[in-house]
Amino acid sequence: MADLPIWHYDTLFLTLALLFGITALAMQNLMGAAIVFGAYSFLMCLIWTTMGAVDVAFTEAAVGAGVSTVFIFATIYNTGVSATPNSPRIAFKIFAGLIAFGTGAFLLSALPDFPDWGDPKSPVNSTIAPYYIANSITDAHVPNIVTTVLADYRGFDTLLETTVVFIACIAIYSILRIDNAKSKVTEPDIITSPPAYDPTDSLIIRQASRIMVPFMQLFALYVIAHGHYSPGGGFQGGVILGASIILLSISFDLKHVLQQWTEKKIMILTALGVLIYAMVGLACILMDGVYLDYAALDSVLPGDEAYARSHGILLVEIGVGITVMFSMIGIYINLASNGRFDRGL
Amino acid sequence: MEDIIPKFNYIVVVVLMMTGLWSMLAQGNLIKKCIGMAIFQTGIILFFISIGAKNDALIPILTEGANHTFDNPNIDKVTNPLTQILMLTAIVVGVATLGVGLALAQKVYQQHDSFDEDEILNNQTK
Repeated sequence: MADLPIWHYDTLFLTLALLFGITALAMQNLMGAAIVFGAYSFLMCLIWTTMGAVDVAFTEAAVGAGVSTVFIFATIYNTGVSATPNSPRIAFKIFAGLIAFGTGAFLLSALPDFPDWGDPKSPVNSTIAPYYIANSITDAHVPNIVTTVLADYRGFDTLLETTVVFIACIAIYSILRIDNAKSKVTEPDIITSPPAYDPTDSLIIRQASRIMVPFMQLFALYVIAHGHYSPGGGFQGGVILGASIILLSISFDLKHVLQQWTEKKIMILTALGVLIYAMVGLACILMDGVYLDYAALDSVLPGDEAYARSHGILLVEIGVGITVMFSMIGIYINLASNGRFDRGL
Repeated sequence: MEDIIPKFNYIVVVVLMMTGLWSMLAQGNLIKKCIGMAIFQTGIILFFISIGAKNDALIPILTEGANHTFDNPNIDKVTNPLTQILMLTAIVVGVATLGVGLALAQKVYQQHDSFDEDEILNNQTK
């Protein structure tokens, strides 16, 4: 067993993660399922840390374990907690099980052809990735290779992924948003019935979140600005910034937040982030470079060409951070208020 | 066991993906379908991260260390950054698509007062 240095923890974590995932799907109570799913995401975050993927683990902790659990809660709040057990459809479930089992067996039949887990000479690890590792410092003076690949080597990829987040936000607005003045739809019972206690009365929660929010936002700004040298970047920082506003709207109420961040402001800022990213690319063309080749910005940014790339990455990360922050807030506000923008969780 | 342990990650990936697929096919509840979709997605992320992992390697943030320097890093001792960035963006896009799925589920609930596929189908045929 001497040639299995780190994997024995991972096999334990992976088995646990499997159990959590299956439990989340098997639970009847949807609230319980959402919590177990959050725990599953957090376990995945541990697994990715042990595999050396710290940036991914950071994102998963902020997104998977944090924000997506809140999204599921918001949906359950507007609908109902229990998954009503009705027609069991046993035959269909067995049929679906057979399909899944068959596909799984088909995929597993390719198992012997895959490289061993953790083999540094496998095709994935020996083709293009060594270039990024060897040249990140000389090209951009950025020790965190993930940041360099994210915003510079594969900048197009990230630009379009940011656009996808923006489009998803617009899609949610167009699905759920209801203009209160025009709508004739009656409110669901769960919203019209008064809540059992007024959540805005909880002094402890209000004061605690009032103290926490500024530090969360400061930390998020640090994560964006320090993404070149430590795990983090626009995506993680943006999600944490969004989570700080979501925390405010949970602990106070939605109206309180919407007074500061009106719907219009949120939409404009969501678009602004993508615009910053695209405009940085356009500026590179105007300065006689290739789209998103930040070295062309050398004459306006301080330092040599490598530092120009480093600063270009920072500009782009700020754009990503703004879009992700306001997408998360926009998605949460729609899901929590069922598109009415009047009352939230 | 000697054959299975070096490839245990792939087995977990396949089982996770198929659990998610089964949930999307067989479970009647729309929220459960969304959770199944997210679990399918983590299966794929696990596949990418585990093929990029290397034995005894450091995280992909370069430091001046004993066995490598900034200018000449020891490539076999740094985890593959490429698979990580692909999955980093996939996670954020994943939460946005999960939000779209949940928004559709809420809209369906407004129309039919139910998350259950069978009840929704019964309502439509009435």
